[in-house]
Amino acid sequence: MAEQRLVVLQGADERDLTKLAEYRAIGGYDALAKARALTPQAVIDELLASNLRGRGGAFFATGRKWSFIPKPDQNPNPHYLVVNADESEPGSFKDNEILSRVPHRFIEGCLITAHAVESKHVFVYIRGEYLGPFEAVRDALEEIREDDQLLGGVTIVVHRGAGAYICGEETALLESLEGKRGQPRSKPPFPAISGLYASPTVVNNVETLATVPPIVAMGGAAYAKLGVESSTGTRVVSLSGNLVRGGNYEVAHGITLRELIYDLGGGVPDGRELKAVIPGGSSTVILTAEEIDVPYDYDALAEVGTAMGSAGVIAIDDRCCMVQLGIRVSEFYEHESCGKCTPCREGTRWMTAILRKLEAGEASDSELDLLLDVCDRINGKCLCPLGETAAMAVASYVLKFRDEFLAHLDGGCPFGSQSPLDGVVAPVNQHTQSPVAEVPA
Amino acid sequence: MSAPENVTLTIDGRVVEVPKGTGLVETAAVAGIEIPVFCYEPRLGPPVGACRMCLVEVEGIPKLQAGCTLTAQEGMVVGTGATSEKAAEGQNATLEFILVNHPLDCPVCDKGGECPLQDLTFRYGPGQTRMTFPKRTLDKPIPISPTIALDRERCILCYRCTRFSESVAEDGQLVARNRGSMSMIATFEDEPYRDLFSGNVIELCPVGALTSTQYRFEARPWEIQNVPTICGLCPVGCNISATTREGKVKRILSRNHPEVDQGWLCDKGRFAYPHLYAEDRIATPLERVRRRGFGEISWDDGLDRAEALLRGAGGRIVTALSGSETIEEAYALGRLLRVGLGAHSAVLPEATSSALDAFRAPLSSIGHAEVVVVIGEERVADRAPIVGLWIKQARRNGGDVVELAEPKLDAELEQRLRSSDRAVLIWSGRAGGGGARLAELAHSLGFDGKPGCSAFHLPATPNGRGVAEAWAAAADRDEANPEPIGLLIVSGDEAAADPAVRALAEKAEHVLAITMYHGLAVGWADLVLPATSYLERDGSFVNLEGRVQRLRRSVIPPVPDELGWISKLAARFGVEISPHASLVFAELAETVYGGEASFGDVGERAPLPARAAYEPPEPRPVAPIPPPAAAPAEHFLGTLRLLRYRPLFSGPTVERVPELRFQRPAAEVELAAADAERRQIRNGDSVTVRSESILTLRARIDRRLPPGVARIAEEHARDLGTTVEVSRSSNPFTSAGGERA
Repeated sequence: MAEQRLVVLQGADERDLTKLAEYRAIGGYDALAKARALTPQAVIDELLASNLRGRGGAFFATGRKWSFIPKPDQNPNPHYLVVNADESEPGSFKDNEILSRVPHRFIEGCLITAHAVESKHVFVYIRGEYLGPFEAVRDALEEIREDDQLLGGVTIVVHRGAGAYICGEETALLESLEGKRGQPRSKPPFPAISGLYASPTVVNNVETLATVPPIVAMGGAAYAKLGVESSTGTRVVSLSGNLVRGGNYEVAHGITLRELIYDLGGGVPDGRELKAVIPGGSSTVILTAEEIDVPYDYDALAEVGTAMGSAGVIAIDDRCCMVQLGIRVSEFYEHESCGKCTPCREGTRWMTAILRKLEAGEASDSELDLLLDVCDRINGKCLCPLGETAAMAVASYVLKFRDEFLAHLDGGCPFGSQSPLDGVVAPVNQHTQSPVAEVPA
Repeated sequence: MSAPENVTLTIDGRVVEVPKGTGLVETAAVAGIEIPVFCYEPRLGPPVGACRMCLVEVEGIPKLQAGCTLTAQEGMVVGTGATSEKAAEGQNATLEFILVNHPLDCPVCDKGGECPLQDLTFRYGPGQTRMTFPKRTLDKPIPISPTIALDRERCILCYRCTRFSESVAEDGQLVARNRGSMSMIATFEDEPYRDLFSGNVIELCPVGALTSTQYRFEARPWEIQNVPTICGLCPVGCNISATTREGKVKRILSRNHPEVDQGWLCDKGRFAYPHLYAEDRIATPLERVRRRGFGEISWDDGLDRAEALLRGAGGRIVTALSGSETIEEAYALGRLLRVGLGAHSAVLPEATSSALDAFRAPLSSIGHAEVVVVIGEERVADRAPIVGLWIKQARRNGGDVVELAEPKLDAELEQRLRSSDRAVLIWSGRAGGGGARLAELAHSLGFDGKPGCSAFHLPATPNGRGVAEAWAAAADRDEANPEPIGLLIVSGDEAAADPAVRALAEKAEHVLAITMYHGLAVGWADLVLPATSYLERDGSFVNLEGRVQRLRRSVIPPVPDELGWISKLAARFGVEISPHASLVFAELAETVYGGEASFGDVGERAPLPARAAYEPPEPRPVAPIPPPAAAPAEHFLGTLRLLRYRPLFSGPTVERVPELRFQRPAAEVELAAADAERRQIRNGDSVTVRSESILTLRARIDRRLPPGVARIAEEHARDLGTTVEVSRSSNPFTSAGGERA
């Protein structure tokens, strides 16, 4: 039986780590003291040794990202650490849990990172709908606000988003944080050189930052022994869809998808069959039930043509219609496309229209090919990954379940209304709620 | 500055060498290769890479790249759609996506025939559609202002217009609303787009989404001609193209002169052309009959009457010039009156001092100045709007802009100006000897020896300097003002509308007016000879930089042009002057412009003459700037000095264009915050303004206004005196905006 390996969430099952005293009791903020005793470069070296790679989805080496930040004498502008807490990928809810349960570990990670990149300003851009996590972070900050030594002159500002998936893209996040329309910037320049307010900026994911204190505490080399060579350490994986025990599980990289689904997730309920698995959130290429013996690490998943993304594993059982799944995913991306670049703005809308026609049984053979061609024409031509991953994901449904799509050509959906997609990513109307309504007065 | 290092790269197999950092679109153009674009427009700031039309394949990068966001690097190997199948497929895909929701109503679209989307679709796009779904439909057209209509279905969301609004005009009024395929351009809070430069978005739009309400459905590109000329409405002289169809001007486009206007044009220059077709335009000479009536007479009779008036005055003639005459016309008038009749007395518009020639530089030099000092109480935008855009550019480039009411520099600023290599002084006000005081200031700061440091005077009239120089060149005698005045000649609409000229007319026995409009001639002229507009004349203007630029006749005027009949009239007084502007210019150039210049040398984009050596301006009486009212005692509110100003959107031309009515100034008085507070006046209150007469106006509090003054547009100030009392209207039922008995 595969088991969890707690690093990020370590201690949270036994104690209420949202309280400063409790966190202190298990050695909380000791890593910060240890890091501050080191030079910034030494902290970066520790991260390089750990081979920690970004948990937001791009899997870029965190230590290398930090090392791109110019030194203060190279660029006199203020340096910024911006936290991407805009977790919006359908199927991912790990940052929600991390912020809610170990906010102090997260804050400690922010402060260590600020030291490493010589920044005095931290902005936490948190998804607007995440009221609970927002309150947990706010309360934790309230607790340490009195402690000047802990903060070390660093200001931490928590900024709530206003309900846009695209603001999880780092440059759109920066635009939004600056008060502009949330749309991605053209790169280069990368944020490390010209980010927030045209100043050197590190943008890191919540989980990445919450992993930093344990790395400093145990040493980069020790951390690197966890997991597998290409993907060191642990990962908080969100299990959802048609599973007995959905939820977040922290595991060492290298566990197989099958173990995740059956050992931790308890398998598909009610004796139904597993049909497919989306391995890294709605934007990743789907896997069939036959492909799930793949180890959950970056290289192994890349080998089967998909990605770990933001670690949202969605199990899909045999009741589900893949065309309906396509519509649900395509509608989401159409709804969330920012409208800046042409292929994504126009292409996602076209994709949805073709899929709806397929589902209604009104499409022809050539329109199935057209759908693939539209996906192909979006892919590789967009300004940011939003449209491209949407196109790749939907195309993968067609490619891997072509027979099911073909079955729709005559007489419509064989599943009819018997395919509710219950619990398999939320329908688009659930993404349209205004987070502003929840803002406390 | 050291020359930038060159790099060599290959595009479509052609080797090209450019300075490092050159944009890839420009680099390809050097090699004769097109990288097609929609959203790319370097004048709007850094590239955004939104439209994806410019996709290219770069060796070593697996994904297609947006060519507009790349710069030339050593050894780069680039394939455009011409050689790279992948890039061609990408460009084709972009166009297919753009056209998915585009209405394809080209046959009824103003842009059809001169539309980048049409052109690029023919060159790079799919020949047929695969889109079988209903297109997105939206309400259209939406009048975002009385001059601009928005068609959101045609819009391809290149964001050029919003970027112009945000990053060039800096008005922030155009925004994108909603998200994804429902993104749309809108004005902020759906308010009308009211800005001096709004019309530029029409030209920036690469499709027919933003169109001019004046030009809509008026012409098709294959039946028009674009005449390269210059705008004659302010002293900048923006380069323009006048689009004509069947002998009528249909629209005005900018014609990029990188040193003068960078391809921007203000709304007055763009939308004022219907003044040519005003209802009260005068088409024949008019003779006064009875007190206020006119009778039409023939041109032969008109010239006979003019000759009789000129002879009858016995040399006691005063000529009031507008500053909007061409230099050729002013010279011809000068020859006729000064040589033919010995009538040397003239009321000349405020001219720019030639002492400023030592600090001459192109207007574009303002854009990258480190420090710009604007002196004077007139707003730059009211006098020379484009200069305001250059100043904004300077600020965006990190320069400091300092505004001073008077030419008094503190020690720190003075030191900064002395040590800077890129400093600019701008005089935007009355008095100051047409920039003579500014020239002295620039000289004292050592600007003579620094080519990056310059000084500009913003005169009140478009060609004041040219007119003064031409009038001076016509003869070299001077004569005292005649008393009494036998004949007042009023040349041009601005002079005809000028209260000072009107006052002079009261003292004159006869008045001969040269004007375009009935409204300006009625009641005071004995003889009216019809005038023409700057769009109907050949000739030249001297702009505020000292640049001689050519006006080209865009359309044949409904009346003979001034030079023609002045030439005939002059012959009757034994003065020979050509009716052709080019020959008059050649004659004038011998004395004024160094003897060498000809029309041909001026060209379509006129060069700027070199700097002259500094010569101290002749000391002349300089009207002192009235001091601000003394700080009033605690309980005494005191009077405010009336600051009358002439708004950009005012004058006989603008008054005749209904579409510009919304741009004209409201009936309001602008007050400094402190003055308003002391009087318990809030923004928008109805206030009473009192001197010899009483007006009721709306109050507007302006943070940039110095205390002690009340700023009122000329057309609303009417006959108020130089100092006014301002108080909240005691009668709450009095509505603002009208005169109270």
